[in-house]
Amino acid sequence: MSRQNEKLVLDIVTYGFLALGAVLMVGPFLWMVSTSFKLPADQFGRTLIPPTPTLQNFQALFSVDIGYPGLFFNSTYISLLVTVGQLLTCAMAAFCFAVVKFRGREFLFTLLLVTLMIPAQVTLIPNFIIFKWLHLIGTSVPLWLPAFWGGAFGTFLLRQYFLTVPRELVDASRMDGASLFQIFWRVYMPLAKPALAALAIFTFQGAWNDLLHPLIYLPAVPNTTLTVGLAFFQQQLILGGKYTVLMAGALTSILPLLLVFLVAQKQFIEGIALSGVKR
Amino acid sequence: MKKLLFPFLLIAAMLLASCGGQATPAGEPAAGAAPVELTFMMWGAPEELAVWNKIVEEFQTQSPNIKVNVEVSDWTAYWEKLKTMLAAGTPPDLFAMDAPYYLDYQTRGVLKNLQPYLDQNPDLLTGVYPQTLEAYQTAEGYFGLPRDFQTIVLFYNKDMFDKAGVAYPTADWTYDDLRKASKDLTLDTNGDGVTEQYGFTADLWDMELAWSSAIWAYGGDIFSADRTRTLIGEPAARQAWQVFHDMMFQDKSMPDVNTAAQYGLDLYQAGIAAMTPIGHWAVPGYNTVAFKWDVAPMPKGPAGQATSVNSAGFVVAEGSKHPDEAFEFIKFVLSPGGQTRLTELGFAIPVLQSVAESPVFLQQAGYSIDQKVFLDSLAFAHMKPVFKGYDEWAAAVGDGMIPIWTGEAELNPTLDEVVQAADEVLAKNK
Amino acid sequence: MQAGVVPKGRERLTLWLMLTPTLIGLAFGVLGSILATLALSLTKWDLLTPPRWTGLSNYVALFTDEKFTRALLNTFKFSALYVPSVVVLSLVVAMLLSRKIRGVSIFRTMYFLPAVTSAVAAALVWNMIFGKDTGILNAIIAFFGGKGLCWVCSDHILTAVLIVNVWGAIGEGMIIFLAGLAAIPREYYEAAAIDGASESRKFFRITVPLVTPSIFFLSIITTINAFQAYDYIYMLTRRGQGDSSFPVIVYSIYRNAWNFFNYGGASAQAVELAVLIILLMAFYFWLERRYVFYE
Repeated sequence: MSRQNEKLVLDIVTYGFLALGAVLMVGPFLWMVSTSFKLPADQFGRTLIPPTPTLQNFQALFSVDIGYPGLFFNSTYISLLVTVGQLLTCAMAAFCFAVVKFRGREFLFTLLLVTLMIPAQVTLIPNFIIFKWLHLIGTSVPLWLPAFWGGAFGTFLLRQYFLTVPRELVDASRMDGASLFQIFWRVYMPLAKPALAALAIFTFQGAWNDLLHPLIYLPAVPNTTLTVGLAFFQQQLILGGKYTVLMAGALTSILPLLLVFLVAQKQFIEGIALSGVKR
Repeated sequence: MKKLLFPFLLIAAMLLASCGGQATPAGEPAAGAAPVELTFMMWGAPEELAVWNKIVEEFQTQSPNIKVNVEVSDWTAYWEKLKTMLAAGTPPDLFAMDAPYYLDYQTRGVLKNLQPYLDQNPDLLTGVYPQTLEAYQTAEGYFGLPRDFQTIVLFYNKDMFDKAGVAYPTADWTYDDLRKASKDLTLDTNGDGVTEQYGFTADLWDMELAWSSAIWAYGGDIFSADRTRTLIGEPAARQAWQVFHDMMFQDKSMPDVNTAAQYGLDLYQAGIAAMTPIGHWAVPGYNTVAFKWDVAPMPKGPAGQATSVNSAGFVVAEGSKHPDEAFEFIKFVLSPGGQTRLTELGFAIPVLQSVAESPVFLQQAGYSIDQKVFLDSLAFAHMKPVFKGYDEWAAAVGDGMIPIWTGEAELNPTLDEVVQAADEVLAKNK
Repeated sequence: MQAGVVPKGRERLTLWLMLTPTLIGLAFGVLGSILATLALSLTKWDLLTPPRWTGLSNYVALFTDEKFTRALLNTFKFSALYVPSVVVLSLVVAMLLSRKIRGVSIFRTMYFLPAVTSAVAAALVWNMIFGKDTGILNAIIAFFGGKGLCWVCSDHILTAVLIVNVWGAIGEGMIIFLAGLAAIPREYYEAAAIDGASESRKFFRITVPLVTPSIFFLSIITTINAFQAYDYIYMLTRRGQGDSSFPVIVYSIYRNAWNFFNYGGASAQAVELAVLIILLMAFYFWLERRYVFYE
C-alpha cells in the first residue's frame, strides 16, 4: 500500500474507533447530565433530552444547608496540598530509585510497593491511632501530611518514566560538572512533565473523591469535605430513588476535577509535540 | 537492630493504647463555671441536624454551662466513624444507638451504666412507653435509654387504590386480604409484558420491615427464649415465608430483588408499588411524593396481628469525661419539651406517652395521615430482637435468603441452610 | 537491573535528603499498614475491647470460610478479565489519540470523563442503564432487534461489573500510555521514515518495545486495583442493607472489620490478599527482566 493510502486507512479506522468508543465513554455521563435536569417524574424515561427541563434539582441541592461553599473550599485546599506534596516527594524519591545507585535500593522499592497492596479499609484504624497520639484528630492534617512523605503509586509511576531517559544525558551533565540535585532538577524534571501532569491528575482526583479518610479525621458536616457532605446528603436520596437530585449532586462534584484535567492535559500536548531528546 | 525494636514497641504500645480510654471515675464533681463541652454523635438526615441544633439551643438556655456539639452523619458513615473512635479510645461523650446493636456494645464494656443516675431521678422513666424500654434493660441496669421509637405499619398509595377500585386496607385485614389486594393492584398498563406497577414491595433483608411481623402473625418466633436457636425455619414461620414467596413468584405482585434494584431501594416512594411496610422514619421523605397516601396497621395472621417495634436510643460512652452533663442532656431530651421538639422533626415517634398522644404528634402540621396507627400498633408489637452478634446474624440470614428472592434458589432447602448458618453465629457469640 | 549514577562525597547527603520524606512515609506505611495488619491478624479484636492474641487461628479459619472463598473466586475471575482488557484498550486508545488528528483534545477529555466521575455517581448511572425494564441498554438492544438481558442477575453480573470497571479505568490507562508514548524520541520515527519504514513497521519495531515500561507499570497498578476493586462493584450489586450479590475480597474484609466485630479476621484476609498480589508481582518483575526495554 502506498504511504498515503496507508495513512488514510489508518485515519479512518482511528476516527471510527475513537468515535464509537467516545460514545460509550461519554454516554453515562450524558445520562447523568440529562437526568439532573429532569423532573423526578421523568427520571426513568428513556429520552436523552429532558421532556421538561428544570433547575429544581440543583435548587434542592443548595436548599438544604450542608454548608456547600465551606465543603467545597475544604476539598479544594486539601486536594491541592496533597497534589503538591506528592509531586515533590515522589519525584525526588523516583529519581533516587531510578538513577542513583545506593545500597538497599531494590529492597526499599519493593517495600514501597508492598504498602500499596493492603487495602485502606484495614489500615484505617492503625493509622488513626497513630494520629490520635499526635493529637491531630479533628484537623485536616492527617489528610494531607502523609502526601508529603512520598507515595508508592507516584514514585512508581515517575520511576518508570525516569528510567526511559537515556543515560547519555546523565553522563553529559556529569561531564559538565552537574551535581546530583542539578541533574534531577535541570534534566529529569523538565523531561518528566507529561508524567508529572498525569500524576497531578490522579492525585488530585484521588484526594477529591476520598470518602473514608475525611470521614474519620474531620468532624461531621459542615466542617468536612465535599464528598462526605454529598454522601451524607445523598443517603436519603439513594433510599428513595431520587435519581434526579443525586445526579445533580454528582455533577457538581465532577466539575472541579474536569477543570484540573483540562489544565493538566496541555502537558501531554507539549510532551508529544516536543521532540523528546535532542542528541 | 534498633530498626526492629522500634516498630515492635510501637505496635505493643498501640495495642496497649486500645486498653486505655476506659474507666474514668464516674461522678466527677462538675464544679466551677467553665462550660463543659460534650460531643453528641448520631446518624440522620441533613434536616435532622437543624432540628437537633434547635434542641441543643433550648437545652443550653436551661443549662448554660453545658455546650453540646451535635454531629450528624449518614447511617454507614456513622458506624464507621463511631467504631474508629471507640477503637482509638476517643469516643464521643454521647452517641446514638440502634436498639438491636445495643448488646454488642454493652457486653463489651464501652457503655456507661446509667442506673445510678436513674436511681437519682426515679420519675424520669414514668410516662415512657414500657415497650421501648425493654431493649435496654440488663441485669445490671440500664446502659442506654430510648430517644424515640418506630413501629412498622403498612403504607399505601391512595391514588393507586382509587384507580384500581380496591378498598383501602383496614385494621381487620389479613395476609390473604393483602395478597388479594396486591394482585389487583399489579398492572401492566401498556400491555408490553412488563409490569409497570406492583401491588406490594418490601425490604426482605432486614427482619424489621416485613418478615418478622409476618412470622409473629403466623404464630412463629425468631429465636428460642434463650437465644441459642434460630426459629425462622419452623413450620409456622415457613408459612409466613411462603406468603411472600407466592406473592413474588406466583402472583408476581411483588418484584424480585433484581427487578426492584433498577428503581432504587424504595419502590413505593418511586411510585412503582402500591403498598409497603415501613416505619415512621420514612414519613418526612414520603411527604414529598406526588401521590396521596395513608397508613394502616400490619395485617393479621392466623395467630393474630403483629408488628415490630424498635427504637433509637442514647448511650453515654464509658470513656466520657463528662457523664453527669451527658445525662443532663438525656434528661432534657426525655422531658416533654425535648420530646416535643423531636416530634416536630417528623422522623420518629416520641417515647413519652403524654407527647405521643397529644396533638403535637397526632396532628403534625403538613401531614394528612392517620398518625394514631403508629401508636395503636404498639398494642400488638413485638420488640425487634437485641443480641450480641446482631449484624453477623442478620447478614447470615439476609445474605442467605437473597438467592431465594432472586429466584435462583428454592425456599425450603435454603431456609434449612440459613438456619444452620445463623445458629453458628449465635454459638460464636455466646 | 540498571546501573546508576554513583553519588560522590557530599552528594550522599543530597541523596538521603531526597529520600527522607519517602523513608518517613515508609516507616508509617510499614508500621501503620504492614506490621499493624500482620500483628492484628494474629489477634481477635472487636474494636471495642483490647485485642486478644490468637496466633494463626484467623488464617486457619479462612480455609473453611465459605464467604471468603466465594469472594476470592469472584476477585480472581474479575481480575483475570479486567487487567488485560484495561491494558489493551488503554493502549489502543492512547495510540489512536497520539496520532495527528483533529479534535484530539476533545476526544482525550471524553475518554477521561469516566475516570473523573465518583464511583457512587457512576454506579448509580450504570444502575439506571442496566435496569432490566427501565434501562437504556436494554432499550438500545431492543431497538436493534435483540432481547434485553437481566444484567444484574447472577449469570450476567460479572459482565456488568467488568463493563463498569473497565469503563472507569480506561481514562487513567490512557493517560499513562500517553505520557509513555510522549517519551519516545521523535528522532527514532523520523529516522525510520527516512529509511522508508511503513506505519506498521514503525509500530512494531519502535513503539511497542519502547512502551513496555508503561505496560509494565499499568499492569501492576491495574492488577492491584483489580484485587482491591470495591467501590463500583458494591454500588452496583447492593441488595438490601450492606449485602452484595457479587462479593469480592475487599467487601469481605470490610464486612468483617466493620460489621462483624472481627478486625483480626479482616486483617488476616488483607494479609492473604497482599500475599497473592505479591506473588503476582514477582511474576511481573520476572517478565520485566525479559521483556521490558528502557532505552
